This record gives sequence, structure tokens and C-alpha cells, in this order.
Amino acid sequence: MTQPLLPLELQMVVCGTLIAFSAWVVYLLRKGRLGLRESLLWILSTAAVFAMTLFPRLLRSIAHGLAIEVPSNALFALAILYLTLNVLSLTIALSNGATRARRLTQECALLRGELDALRAQFDKLATGK
Amino acid sequence: MRGLVIIPALNEARNLPRVLESLRRDAPGWDACVVDDGSTDETARTAREQGAIVLRLAQNLGIGGAVQTGYLWAREHGYGIAAQIDGDGQHDPQFLAAARAPIEEGKADLVVGSRYLGSDGFRSTAVRRAGIRYLSWFLRLRCGARVTDPTSGFRVAGRRAIELFAAHYPSDYPEPEAIALATRSGLSVSEVPVVMREREHGRSSIGAGGTVYYLVKVSLALILLPARRGVA
Repeated sequence: MTQPLLPLELQMVVCGTLIAFSAWVVYLLRKGRLGLRESLLWILSTAAVFAMTLFPRLLRSIAHGLAIEVPSNALFALAILYLTLNVLSLTIALSNGATRARRLTQECALLRGELDALRAQFDKLATGK
Repeated sequence: MRGLVIIPALNEARNLPRVLESLRRDAPGWDACVVDDGSTDETARTAREQGAIVLRLAQNLGIGGAVQTGYLWAREHGYGIAAQIDGDGQHDPQFLAAARAPIEEGKADLVVGSRYLGSDGFRSTAVRRAGIRYLSWFLRLRCGARVTDPTSGFRVAGRRAIELFAAHYPSDYPEPEAIALATRSGLSVSEVPVVMREREHGRSSIGAGGTVYYLVKVSLALILLPARRGVA
């Protein structure tokens, strides 16, 4: 009898955590506090981790392919990759947000400038009469 | 042809009256446009009282975002020429006439005022001069721009440069990068000598740690330049 690739307890804890996490993401999505576009990577990568926990064979073949001896080390490596990917996507979203905020701030300043000029012209006309 | 002088200002209420006064006196043919980058003092009111166009940013964008707002105004209002000078009084508006000449003669799209082409005036500390020489060398290596004072905030832009900067302007210590952007976009950049003064009130925005960050950030931006050519 060979040893299981992942202990049953670990499998259960990870599955429980992933389900709780997914439920939270779904809750945030339904409440409109999380955009589907931004959370797509979270959902997909969480699904991948879920698949690997349910079917540790997958994990073993990945570990084998990467020449990692212990499957759980492959799990750690993948976890780091998962976090890095999600943080990068977050940084991209943040950069986009900053660029947009800059444009909007500039647009507001331009509009305020136009308004000031119009008001000055209007005042001149009003007092000229 | 009337020009627009863009003056980015953050809490410069004490320096602005003198800057705007010397603009009126020494630079006829230019409209002053103060971009208030989220000041907490009387910058906007002071500028308005002095008859300048005031563009008030609702929040601080940094020098790059502020200057670009000025270029956007210049583009919207059909200015064929736009200049930028600092709001702290270190740039003398007298030099604007000499700096716009190459543009009006069609010899340049962007003119930088350099304190190292002439022989006198304020030239910064030895450490900064070394940094500036390095940037100048790097700019020449990277995109062939021959500029002796790449960090100078004294610039005059022709119509093509206004269009470019209104659409794309770097943020966070943008001066050397803006030169690279212009050169890469096929604009011709030249320099004229100017004399700079030491600022009277307030401190420079760049401290000691800032100088290191400045060099690293600008070097990185210049190294990554080709990958971003598409945006220009």
C-alpha cells in the first residue's frame, strides 16, 4: 500500500478553505463590490488549485514534470506562482486606475478653467450694459 | 502668434506674484497659465488676481500631470506655441523670446533652456551636476538627443510637441523622459542658453534620497523606451 500523495486531513482543510474563499468572492461579486473582470483571474486560479487538491495525481505529474521530489513542495511552488500572478494583475489594475484618475482630474481642471473664462465674459457683458 | 506659458505650481503663493509680474513685463505675446497642483495655500487666488488663466487640479498629480494639463489647454485653445517655466521664480521669462525663435523659424519642435550652455547663474550642486551629466550622456546614447541640461524645467514647445505632450506625458520626474519621448516621436529638440536663479522661498522638491530615486527611475524609463514606442 503506497502512501497517499496528500494526507486526507490536508485535503479537507484546503478544500474547506478554498470553498470558503470562493463563497466570499461570489458574495462580493453579487454585492457588486468586486468587478467580474478583475476577479476572473482569482476564480480561474482558485478553480485550478481546487482541482489539484481533489486530484493529487495532477499535482504529482506536475511535480514530476518539474523534477520536484515531494508533491507538497510543488504545491508550495504553485501557491507562490498563484499569488504572484494575482498580485501582478492587481498592480496592472491599479496602474490603469491611476492613469484614469489622472485624466479625469485634468479634465475637471480644464472644465473649471473654461467655466471661469465663461463667467468672466458673462460678468463683463452684464456690467457693460 | 500668441504663446501659452504653463506654470505648474504647488504652494507657490509667495513666489507667483513675482513670476507673473516679470512675465507681463518681459514676455509680451505670452498668456500665463498657472496649473495649481492641489495647493493648500492661496496659489490659485494669487494667480487669478494677477490675471493668469488658472487650472486647478482637484488633487495633487505631480509635476508631469500638472504640466500635461497645461498642454491640454494649449491644444484645446489652438495655441501654436507653449512654454513651461517653474513657479518658484528660478526661470527668467526674458529668455522666452530667444527660446521661441528656433520654433518659429521651423528649426525645432522642442527647445530646452540650458544653464550649462551659458557661463553664469545658478548651476546646482556638484552631486547634481554629475547626475545631470550622466543623464545627458544616457539620453544621447539611448536616443541620440544632444541635450546638456535634461532636467531643466524651462521648455518651449511647438505645435507638434504640444500635440504629443497633450496625448502622452510621463509622470514622476518627467523632464528627461519627455525629451526622449519627443526624440523618439521624430521631433527635433534643441537648446538655448538660459541663466537660472536660486529659488527664494521654499525648498526644491528633490532631496538626497530623491536624487537616487530620480536617477534610477529615469534610467529605467530610458532603458524601457523602445518597448513603449507604440504609445508615442
